[in-house]
Amino acid sequence: MTEIYATIIFLIVLFGLLGSSVWVGLALMGVAWVGLELFTSRPAGDAMITTIWTGASSWTLTALPLFIWMGEILYRTRLSQDMFRGLAPWMRLLPGGLLHTNIAGCTIFAAVSGSSAATLTTVGKMSIPELRRRGYPEYMIIGTLAGAATLGLMIPPSLTLIVYGVTINESISKLFLAGVIPGLVLASLFMSYIVAWHFVRKSERPEADKAMGLGDMFRESRFLIPVLVLVFAVIGSMYFGWATATEAAAVGVIGALVLAASQRSLNLSTFYESLMGATRTSAMIALILMGAAFLSLAMGFTGIPRALASFIDGLGLSPIALIAMLTVFYIILGMFLDGISSVVLTMAIVEPMIRQAGIDVIWFGIFIVIVVEMAQVTPPIGFNLFVLQGMTSHEISYIAKTAIPMVLLMVLMVIILVTWPELATWLPDNMRATPG
Amino acid sequence: MDWKPFIGLPLWFWLFVLPTILTIACWYLKDKAQKFLAPIWRVLNVIYTTSGIIAAIFMVIILLLIVAQMIARWTGVTFHGSTEFAGYAMAATSFFALAHALNRGAHIRVSILLNLNNFTKRWVDIFALFVAALIATYFARYAIKANIFSEMLNDRTQGQDTVPQWLLTLFETIVTSPTQWTTLWSQTSSEMVYTPLWLPQIPMSIGTTLLAIALWDNLIRFVVLDKSNIKGEMI
Repeated sequence: MTEIYATIIFLIVLFGLLGSSVWVGLALMGVAWVGLELFTSRPAGDAMITTIWTGASSWTLTALPLFIWMGEILYRTRLSQDMFRGLAPWMRLLPGGLLHTNIAGCTIFAAVSGSSAATLTTVGKMSIPELRRRGYPEYMIIGTLAGAATLGLMIPPSLTLIVYGVTINESISKLFLAGVIPGLVLASLFMSYIVAWHFVRKSERPEADKAMGLGDMFRESRFLIPVLVLVFAVIGSMYFGWATATEAAAVGVIGALVLAASQRSLNLSTFYESLMGATRTSAMIALILMGAAFLSLAMGFTGIPRALASFIDGLGLSPIALIAMLTVFYIILGMFLDGISSVVLTMAIVEPMIRQAGIDVIWFGIFIVIVVEMAQVTPPIGFNLFVLQGMTSHEISYIAKTAIPMVLLMVLMVIILVTWPELATWLPDNMRATPG
Repeated sequence: MDWKPFIGLPLWFWLFVLPTILTIACWYLKDKAQKFLAPIWRVLNVIYTTSGIIAAIFMVIILLLIVAQMIARWTGVTFHGSTEFAGYAMAATSFFALAHALNRGAHIRVSILLNLNNFTKRWVDIFALFVAALIATYFARYAIKANIFSEMLNDRTQGQDTVPQWLLTLFETIVTSPTQWTTLWSQTSSEMVYTPLWLPQIPMSIGTTLLAIALWDNLIRFVVLDKSNIKGEMI
């Protein structure tokens, strides 16, 4: 019976603190403290610091600031300007034309940055004005961008996956590799939507630009090629077992610095800004992780996760039914919380549940990223919606409406992932053993 | 036991009640408080930024440690404790940046109620700052306690990482009286010793304390100036 009371009190305090806009990390600490004081005789403060210190000084976590920094450096270079010019000549050849630059641009930038907001701003800053000038319909420009930017969370390096991996103690390299194929599949789903639009709404097609020679095409994309090389270096070094996730991140930072220097967009002020920006973002995530570590500890003492796992087990749900239930749960949660917070907040409860049901935790990481991605573009709280609102000054409701087809495609992606789990598990199963 | 009296009053009075009384006093005095507090605010702003820069330096240290580790592996040299050092640097970069990140609006929160109307914007924000300040103060108090206990129990690292003994003596010098400095340094050799946990835990004590100060500071600025020091919510 204590578990039921404990659950109710946890939920009330949690929603009270989060709802009254207490910062997420501190709110989680507050909830954990209430739980420990009420349901155990353990000294709450000492237990809190032991857990937080172990978590905050862990070696696995060091991949986080470095990957954030890598993205920050490239975000401040001329990469975003070169992206459109480099991709346009190639994308023009596809049915649906330059709209594909939204998807391809986001995919490439996602591969150097782990955040969906950074992906959105970088690509959107360049592609929105260009696509408008060429007369593409507004709802297609905004919708595809809002959807594609969520790839930033799935294609490695992904901050959400690092946080997930740290929380449940799984290999981050494996999670990253697991994200590659589903990320590309999702990108191609978005692209087929554009192709479908091209053939269904013929009247909305803008006039085609004049063709370009192959030599010019390569010249235009000369800046993109080094970025692609960097992407393959980072992902490849993990796949072939040359480097751990943290080491790959260090390679990424150095590569990004060299790239920025060779483009002459690296000076003291961009270096300083990128470093400070990365420090802040990393501290933000670290505070949430500290709160979550303490909350998991507190919940462990109350026995809620165990009770819930055995309750779910007793229901005799099939794994598919469990996944369907969790999908709905995360979409609702994601309406109010950002991706990283919803992952860390729920893992203490969900992890025993999925392990009990025999679901692969690496596969589950990819699943959870897709569902929290959906949350980025669903109102009332959708991070990508806010960013796009700031960039285009459209109403949130309009942006959310244009993104509905993308959300449906993500639901389709969940179904695909459930039907063919190998999409996520094949690459990590075949990677070489990582040193150290 | 945890809250045993300090100068005649229990510790929780000094940590939680006193800042609350100060906040209410500043609220009541407003303009007079502003005149008195303005120079303190300027100093605090410098401290927050400095702490952010120290955090950034530790992030560069993480990068250098990992690069060094990779080079060591390729060249067959062993680099003992590189993962532990990277972990310590990770903790330092997180903790030192907490207050700076707060003031630059990097920490996230759910802002549905906050954005409802002007009334909630004011009162919910004051409530959130107050609750956050209480939690952060609690956090800082136990961080410092843990740090002192690590020193008293002489907790050492579980890994292979070592630091030179003079580095530890340097820190001990700060907390001992100058009369004992000569004896302290005469006992110090240039030997390497296993890292005592109190050393990497110092950033935790400083960072959490700064976060607590920053939250009280923001609360007081809010009641005096009607706006906090938190600039620019995240992109």
